Amino acid sequence: MSDPARTPTLLIVDDEPRILSALRRCLRREGWRILATSQPDEALRWLAGERIEALLSDHKMRGASGLRLLEAAAGIQPSTVRFLISGWPDEISAERLAAIGVHALIPKPWDDTALRALLREALGA
Amino acid sequence: MSDERGAEHPRPVRILIAEPGLAGAEPELGTERALRRLGPGVEFEVTGDAIGCLGRVQTWRPDLIVVDLAIGGEATKILAGLEAQAPPAIVVSRELAAESALESFAAGAADCVRAGPDFAEVLPAVALEQIQIWRETRARERLQRNARTLRGTLENLVDAMESGLLVVDARGSVSHANPAAERILGEPPGSLRGRSIVEWLSDGTPGLPLVRALAEGERVRGAESIAVCRDGRYVPIGLSLAPLAAADGRRQGSVVIFQDLSELKQLQRQVLQSEKMASIGQLAAGVAHEINNPMGFIHANLCQMEEYLADLRRLLDGATALTARVCAEGSPALRAAAMDWQTLREKLDAEFLVDDFAKAIRESIEGSERVRHIVQDLRAFAHRDDGEWVMADANRCLDSTAHIVWTMMKHSVVLRKEYGSIPLLRCLPLQLEQVFMNLLVNAYQAIEQRVGERGGSGEIVLRTEACGAEVRILVSDDGVGIPPLHAERIFDPFFTTKEVGVGTGLGLSTSFDIVRRHGGSIRAAARPGGGTIFEVRLPSAGPPAPPASGPAA
Repeated sequence: MSDPARTPTLLIVDDEPRILSALRRCLRREGWRILATSQPDEALRWLAGERIEALLSDHKMRGASGLRLLEAAAGIQPSTVRFLISGWPDEISAERLAAIGVHALIPKPWDDTALRALLREALGA
Repeated sequence: MSDERGAEHPRPVRILIAEPGLAGAEPELGTERALRRLGPGVEFEVTGDAIGCLGRVQTWRPDLIVVDLAIGGEATKILAGLEAQAPPAIVVSRELAAESALESFAAGAADCVRAGPDFAEVLPAVALEQIQIWRETRARERLQRNARTLRGTLENLVDAMESGLLVVDARGSVSHANPAAERILGEPPGSLRGRSIVEWLSDGTPGLPLVRALAEGERVRGAESIAVCRDGRYVPIGLSLAPLAAADGRRQGSVVIFQDLSELKQLQRQVLQSEKMASIGQLAAGVAHEINNPMGFIHANLCQMEEYLADLRRLLDGATALTARVCAEGSPALRAAAMDWQTLREKLDAEFLVDDFAKAIRESIEGSERVRHIVQDLRAFAHRDDGEWVMADANRCLDSTAHIVWTMMKHSVVLRKEYGSIPLLRCLPLQLEQVFMNLLVNAYQAIEQRVGERGGSGEIVLRTEACGAEVRILVSDDGVGIPPLHAERIFDPFFTTKEVGVGTGLGLSTSFDIVRRHGGSIRAAARPGGGTIFEVRLPSAGPPAPPASGPAA
């Protein structure tokens, strides 16, 4: 079903634009198409409009919760592999993550190598 | 007691007369009649033998005994039978030969009166004198007894006091010290006498208020000072000083009463500390949160820059090789251009730039790691009371923590894991991880310091084992170790030996709090061969009564 020639798309969401650009730098060489936004609403619009292989969202954003975003994303595009990234990973219970179907919780600051490895699993090397 | 009370309300004078009965052979001397001249208030009893007389001495308590020698051997028995505390006995006789008078004195008589023509004048005078002496003696004895009792009570009181009490002269030289004073100052019994309190109170500088107060005989109330004990301890004391006056009103020195304020100070410190902690906690939580985001991209960018730089170095190396080739094989024009490039490269010291650039990035990454730990410290500190009590695997907590800090330390440290088979722990896992994080970072920094001073690399050993109802977690390093001087203070809040900016001084103190909340203990020991071992012991059942949630409002 999936198109082997298609470039996998990763959507990243963080209310801090510099985090987005740092994440872009880290993932630039992976050859994925990267969509980045600091607006959860925009992320949902993208999810509704096109195929997104993986979604990586910050948790505590101004006026929005990453977990909520991932929850909404699951409703729109269930096949998207969803990741949560958070400065305070220990504040989020494993039960909630499992209930929402979050693939992995990534601590922030992140380890580049570990992050790339995780995303490769979801997006294909 | 009743005797003494009786003495305070003077009772009539009682005189006991021992003389032959009316039926006796000898004519009456008129003893009682003579003595009645003393006044109407005098009470008399007359007895005829030694047993009766001595019995009445006990029960009736006369002030004077008058013994008529006419009762013969009974008189001798009476004099011999009177105890030391008995009232005086006067011997009367119609014929009083010198030797029998002497015998009577030797037997204990207070005086002897011959019943001559002036008997009725002499006897009352002698009796009065004896009664006065007797009563005065009794009163003096009573006073002395009271004084002794009072002194005994006072001494008991002084000895039983929790406060230290010293009696000192104007220069502070001690003449009396109670046991509490010796205890507080850590002195063996009796060793304070003769020494000056100026020697151990304050630094002994003349002109200090205390020294002046001693010299001037002033009163000091509730002063605080520090006692420097013989064993080098500093004991905070609260002290009062009052001048002592002798009976004639002259100054006799002062009495110093002091208390050990260590516990009070400790409590005050704790209260102050917890207030400080609460406000710092709020601040810390906010700061930690705000710092974390920028630190996130600073760290990520630095890592990325490190990768970029590696590529740029390859590019530079390629260009260097290319220009070398052009210089050797190119056309004259190309050679000139290549030479220019080489000159520029040398002028700019490109090799150094790239090397130092890499070093700068590496150091910045390490700096950002440090900031991250500081932020985590602050946050853990702010959230000391958060979290849920669950059953968790300490090995896993330790391992995941080790994993997080591993990137920071992998360049200089070998990590050896010796995880034992341990039961699940009732704990706050996030908090335990914070403890492990602190221990690991400390171990790493101790190694870094040692490596910085002496080179080489280091080893951290993580070890867990079941130990009865407890789980034992050991984190040992071969770093610089803890100087004995610091060993006692490392768990104090804000105590740090790290350079400013490297440590908050909260790490071990927070760890200590966390471990204590878990009903466990944490201690540090020197590792044989250098370095430090931290031992954490945690009851696997959790604290005896886990706090419901958070502190009481």
